[in-house]
Amino acid sequence: MYRYDEFDAQIVHDRVKQFRGQVARRLSGELKEDEFKPLRLQNGVYLQLHAYMLRVAIPYGQLSPRQLRRLAHVAREYDRGYGHFTTRQNIQFNWVALKDIPDVLETLAEVEMHAIQTSGNCIRNVTSDHFAGATADEVMDPRPWCEIIRQWSTFHPEFAYLPRKFKIAVTAAEHDRAAIRVHDIGLHIRRRGEAVGFEVHVGGGQGRTPHIAAKVHDFVPEAEILDYLEAIMRVYNRFGRRDNKYKARIKILVSETGAEEFKRLVDEEFAAQRPDEKVELPRAEIDRIHAYFAPPPLSGRPARSEVFERAKAADAAFASWAEVNLYPHKQSGHACVTVSLKPVGGIAGDATDTQMETVADLAERFGHGDIRVTHAQNLVMPHVALDDMYEVYRALEAAGLASANESLITDMIVCPGLDYCNLANARSIPVGQAIQREFASVEDQRDIGQLHLNISGCINACGHHHVGHIGVLGVDRKGEEYYQITFGGRADEKAAIGEIAGPALSAEDVPPALKRVVNRYRELRTDPSERFIDVYARTGLEPFKEALYAADQER
Amino acid sequence: MTSVRPKLKPDVPKAITAWHTASGEVVWMTPKGDWTSNPDALGVFTGEVAEARLADARAAEGEVTDPYFMEVSETGEIRGRETLRETIRAQGPTTHPEFAKGEAL
Amino acid sequence: MPLIRNGEEAVNTWLHVETGEAGETPNGITVPLEAFLEKRDTLLARNTPLGVRLEPDDDPCRLAGDLDRLSLIEIAFPRYTDGRGYSTAQLLRRRLGYRGELRAVGHVLRDQLLYMHRSGFDAFETERAQIACVQDALGEFSSFYQPAADGHRHVFARRHT
Repeated sequence: MYRYDEFDAQIVHDRVKQFRGQVARRLSGELKEDEFKPLRLQNGVYLQLHAYMLRVAIPYGQLSPRQLRRLAHVAREYDRGYGHFTTRQNIQFNWVALKDIPDVLETLAEVEMHAIQTSGNCIRNVTSDHFAGATADEVMDPRPWCEIIRQWSTFHPEFAYLPRKFKIAVTAAEHDRAAIRVHDIGLHIRRRGEAVGFEVHVGGGQGRTPHIAAKVHDFVPEAEILDYLEAIMRVYNRFGRRDNKYKARIKILVSETGAEEFKRLVDEEFAAQRPDEKVELPRAEIDRIHAYFAPPPLSGRPARSEVFERAKAADAAFASWAEVNLYPHKQSGHACVTVSLKPVGGIAGDATDTQMETVADLAERFGHGDIRVTHAQNLVMPHVALDDMYEVYRALEAAGLASANESLITDMIVCPGLDYCNLANARSIPVGQAIQREFASVEDQRDIGQLHLNISGCINACGHHHVGHIGVLGVDRKGEEYYQITFGGRADEKAAIGEIAGPALSAEDVPPALKRVVNRYRELRTDPSERFIDVYARTGLEPFKEALYAADQER
Repeated sequence: MTSVRPKLKPDVPKAITAWHTASGEVVWMTPKGDWTSNPDALGVFTGEVAEARLADARAAEGEVTDPYFMEVSETGEIRGRETLRETIRAQGPTTHPEFAKGEAL
Repeated sequence: MPLIRNGEEAVNTWLHVETGEAGETPNGITVPLEAFLEKRDTLLARNTPLGVRLEPDDDPCRLAGDLDRLSLIEIAFPRYTDGRGYSTAQLLRRRLGYRGELRAVGHVLRDQLLYMHRSGFDAFETERAQIACVQDALGEFSSFYQPAADGHRHVFARRHT
């Protein structure tokens, strides 16, 4: 993974010092809250329902064991013993005192971490495929380009006060695990012979007006990608709407301008750049950054591991976990391990300090020191030998981290909701827990197969309900929590926005209603390999809608 | 982006709530006009007195952040459209009963 | 309002004339972009220094042919959260090659000064900022990842020289 050189270290150090000064000016009363707010937001500090929340950047979701241990330390010393991994591959601490945040940032800077631009109307943390560098279906490792984009976007003087926040995602794999089509900019790295370039998608997003991004370029050569991004950003900064924050995201500019005209504006701006306006990115610099992401030295192992097979035969729970939570590695004899943060009845994405330390130790001993955060709020150890898998599993199990549910119905994306969030209209976590309990049986979940269920506590859609195969959106009805259900959303290469089924349901009606929907799916599928989302594509909304509201007809 | 706060009529009993700036802790104004982190000790205000107290709170903005009115009964129980939100604010997340300040929801 | 120019407090002798009808004054004047384009010849015939004030939605490229006759361009920030002025400044400095004074006016606060400076501003009209504070604000970072209008070599390039 990337390591800071003296420039990176200095910039992060300067930022800690700067923020320490800003906090001091706030605490002395020199800065009023409305002046301080954008400053704290640009450093990931929110004021939530109960306390300040600090969002720490995990660039493209990559962590070292040392970094994860430091996050555990922060959880223990400055928070209440846990942290919350987010859909942007970051981590949030829910109970940090403002006066302590400069110290937290200083301790994070020691392990090359920061909270820069994790909020605010600027370019946010760049996200990517959590199997990057390990999966066979990518044309190259996308992380070096994520790092280059991270550096370019950090403290960009022109793009710190954009009309609204701005999110970039990068993938290099055919199967899109980074949800690039629902980002402000989604980049898909392509190869044409020896040449590397970027397919560029712009104007995707969720929130109250979800959009699938428009493709604006098939292949921007790698040497020009930062200049092309500058052109997009400048068009957005100049022409994005600022009269209404709900219409300020680039998706609205693209849809109101029209994708064709938007592309013309970007191309015109790009063509007008003078040579000295270009971002000089020396070949040696591209190579330097790529070198940090060299594949780990995985020793050649046979594709079949006898140790692994024996353990599976002896321990059915392990066999089940291995079948669900392992993803094929490009190197034989290895696999990518999903460490589920979705135990039934738990809080999606939460990990305690000791759980973080367990994963850090395992990654160090068995995982080449590589840990990823997924946009589905789980952790991944991307390079584990099958021979070591049972030992890894036993340790995860002991730490409460061995739920066998990756991409199954209980592996939900859930936003913090009204239990924490100042924006929420309804609670998300309790309704998610109730749904999990309805589908708690592992056999039942495996029989249902892949089913992405996403829950948001308000229309801002942090829980990605629009792109859940089943989406649940909390709404407030005269002080009562209700939940609107959508079907058919997906975040992958066939990205789609879910369709709203009909009137919202009360919290207690949601689990049985979804049980009926899932049972209807089981009746409709031609065989168990036909997933919920495949059946939906074949049948459309009607049968699921009917099942969802079937209880009303019985009454 | 803070959620929209309902506008309360002058005669509706209200409390004034905010966050302690240095710690982020949720606080309420007491009947005497200082701040408490105990929701059972909040003061109930109406009419012009309430407006004057909120103005004082805004002026003391360095100590507390973003003070606003919340609806309560005459005896100080949380009421109105934002009952659930304000109850969670007062008692902690329903998902972590161990953090509760007052009685469980 | 206090004026900081090239990092030091300076006396502001300029007047902003919203109508573009200045009358007799020895001071330099700035006028809105539309007024400038409308009364261009009259204004340029004056013997006093001339400038233009650009609002956030003004296109600086409309000044392309006149830049060498302007001694001052003001860019207005009605609210500091409106970041269009940064693009306007970069366009003026880097695309159009404007070399005169570029001044931020309006809601100009300490914590935006460095971004403004990097985008090409060399003068700031600000209520609060004291000279010491400006120097602090401009000195908070010494390395930058991207090229901008301040002429700093950016980190990608500095690593390989």
